[in-house]
Amino acid sequence: MIQVEGLRKQYGDFQAVKGISFTAEPGAIFGLLGPNGAGKSTTIGCISGLLEPSAGRVTVMGHDVVGDGPASRRELGIVPQEIAVYEDLSARENLAYWGAAYGLRGAALRARVDAILEQVGLSDRAKGAVKKFSGGMKRRLNFGCGIVHEPRVLLLDEPTVGVDPQSRVHLLDHVRALAASGACVLYTTHYLEEAEVLCDRLAIVDEGVIIAMGTLAELRAQLGEKDLLRLGGRFDGEAALGALAALPGLEIVQADAETLTLAVAGATGRLPEIFRVLEGAGCEVRETTLRQPSLESLFIKLTGKELRE
Amino acid sequence: MGFIWITALKDLRRFWRQPLTLAVWVGIPLMVGVLMISLFGGREGPRPQAYVLVADEDDSFLSGALVGMLSQEAAGDYVRAERVTREVGRARIEKGDGTALLIIPAGFGEAVLREDSCTLRLITNPSQVILPRIVEEGLSIVADGSFYAHRLVGEDLRRFADGPPGGANVFADSTVAEFSVRVNRLSDRLAHYLNPPLITMEDAPPPEEDAETESVTTNAGMIFLPTLLFMALLFMAQGLGNEYWEEDRLNTLRRVLVSPRGVPAFVGAKLLAAFALMLCVSLIALAAGYAYLRLDWSTLPPVLLWAGCAGTALTTLFTLLQLFAASQRAAHILGMSLLFPLMFLGGSFFPVEVMPDWMAAVTRWTPNGWALMWFKRIMLAEAGPGPLAAAFAALLAGTLVLAIICGWRLRRRFARG
Ligand SMILES: Nc1ncnc2c1ncn2[C@@H]1O[C@H](COP(=O)(O)OP(=O)(O)O)[C@@H](O)[C@H]1O
Ligand SMILES: [Mg+2]
Repeated sequence: MIQVEGLRKQYGDFQAVKGISFTAEPGAIFGLLGPNGAGKSTTIGCISGLLEPSAGRVTVMGHDVVGDGPASRRELGIVPQEIAVYEDLSARENLAYWGAAYGLRGAALRARVDAILEQVGLSDRAKGAVKKFSGGMKRRLNFGCGIVHEPRVLLLDEPTVGVDPQSRVHLLDHVRALAASGACVLYTTHYLEEAEVLCDRLAIVDEGVIIAMGTLAELRAQLGEKDLLRLGGRFDGEAALGALAALPGLEIVQADAETLTLAVAGATGRLPEIFRVLEGAGCEVRETTLRQPSLESLFIKLTGKELRE
Repeated sequence: MGFIWITALKDLRRFWRQPLTLAVWVGIPLMVGVLMISLFGGREGPRPQAYVLVADEDDSFLSGALVGMLSQEAAGDYVRAERVTREVGRARIEKGDGTALLIIPAGFGEAVLREDSCTLRLITNPSQVILPRIVEEGLSIVADGSFYAHRLVGEDLRRFADGPPGGANVFADSTVAEFSVRVNRLSDRLAHYLNPPLITMEDAPPPEEDAETESVTTNAGMIFLPTLLFMALLFMAQGLGNEYWEEDRLNTLRRVLVSPRGVPAFVGAKLLAAFALMLCVSLIALAAGYAYLRLDWSTLPPVLLWAGCAGTALTTLFTLLQLFAASQRAAHILGMSLLFPLMFLGGSFFPVEVMPDWMAAVTRWTPNGWALMWFKRIMLAEAGPGPLAAAFAALLAGTLVLAIICGWRLRRRFARG
């Protein structure tokens, strides 16, 4: 279990994390979804004890990460965003080293290393130097190094970046299995699809704050089954907005001179009506994008910007 | 403890897989060594030769003998003598031409025979360190020889100095014959003092007041072995000093920093790995050196231990320095900019024995120069157990302090996003 309360992290004048609170339960995958620079890695850093929080409190399995660092670190398994393995050692040697670093020894260690090699599909390359591995293979090994000691709490920081699609499916299955066996998994990603298929609960993070949190169903409900309609063209602010506001069941998410984002229930059927109103207000529509309710549309609705930029 | 061992072993394995890096660390000193030994000669090769200018103002039989002795066969390998006038000699020494100027004042022969006091003046070239020492020691042994000669045959010598008795022009044949026999017997006995000691200077205890000057050995190999070993240790120390940056580059440092054992164990493991590597390289170098130079093997274990500890201390020094850099590249440059001054000033490139005096005076204030000085003392079995224990304690304490600062600095430097 991870409990984060009012976590802040300051880098000089810049606040990367601005008061984040959440709880990740055992046996479940908690997702942190957000664009690059949202503060996901910083949050993970504070939980792992690498970074000292500027304010707030973080506990791992009840151990305060600042007050009782060693105890909390013993519970953790970490898969950092950057590949962190010894290039001159073999896959087996890497796994054995990180297993030993968490106290595994002898036959138990060997058994775990063999099992992980099997699971990440590196058994046949176990003895080769890692520096000759492909990026995807290194990623898989990086993952393996974080779980070799069977941690009760697992921090995964964008573990699938640069992994080929097939290995990715494998890896996600693996993460699910770990959660199913009782581990508490914190998973950060900027891939919506991943968050949607993997996470039991998730928090959407942007610019150091959580802008929405809950199960997938709860988050979708926040969007109210509305479609997201994004229009490109030339919009004459006041007049257009005034006319649109008169239409029922329509919410203006974002508006400027060139783009207009609307949340509308059953948008397909209402397109002619919307176009007519806009035309009447002297606006010009050149481009239309319609999105079904999804995390992405929720993100856009909440922040007024695309997640993938 | 287990984690420290495992981490150190992991590092040794990594080093082993980078044979090129190892080869460079050890290879550079080896190349320099081959170069220097081919210039100065090792055990069998030509040795450094003292070039003594002699102003013989006495021009007696004995002064001639002294000059002859300086260039006699046994000493000939080491000392070459040339007769000059006092003025010419002074001018040449001032220009740095020659090892020393020996001035034998008029009346020297008489004085020796009568055992009167007489001062031989030796003007040495300040830019040479060992060679003038050889000449000095040689002369002092001659002086000792004359002292012993007086104890043994002083009566005869004085008789000769007085000249033939009873106003005769020459000594009676019988007197000369009697004396010759005595001198022959004597020189048999004296040979032991006069010839070998002239060249075996290792056994001469260093003067108390300038204990930092190493006990002189005329063996070039014995001078170069410690120098080159410390050059290798310095190169390794600078390379190993980049280890934290290397782990940062690999991102493994982050895993380490968040592992349960954390920073102290990690720093300890790096020290242990450095110590093991230093010990291995030193063992190979010293075993070869000891065998080649026929040194006393009983000094090898303490010498080896000292080399390992000194190398580890130097590694910690370089590590700490590099932890203040802004990037791995900057760290490397910072390391190099410490490496070369230490190497040159600390007698780890040119041996302190061939350094100009002013530079040799600085040497023992550099960490490697200090360690090198003790290394030689241990190698020549000159260090008493008390001072030796104190030196070891100082070395270990220094390493510990540096390591603690390293650990503190490591967290500051690398605990970031
Ligand atoms: N050491 C640091 N010093 C200053 N700013 C940092 C540092 N590390 C991260 N940041 C900034 O903090 C913000 C959050 O970064 P990060 O947590 O890595 O985001 P994410 O992992 O969500 O992409 C970014 O704007 C980043 O530039
Ligand atoms: Mg990140």
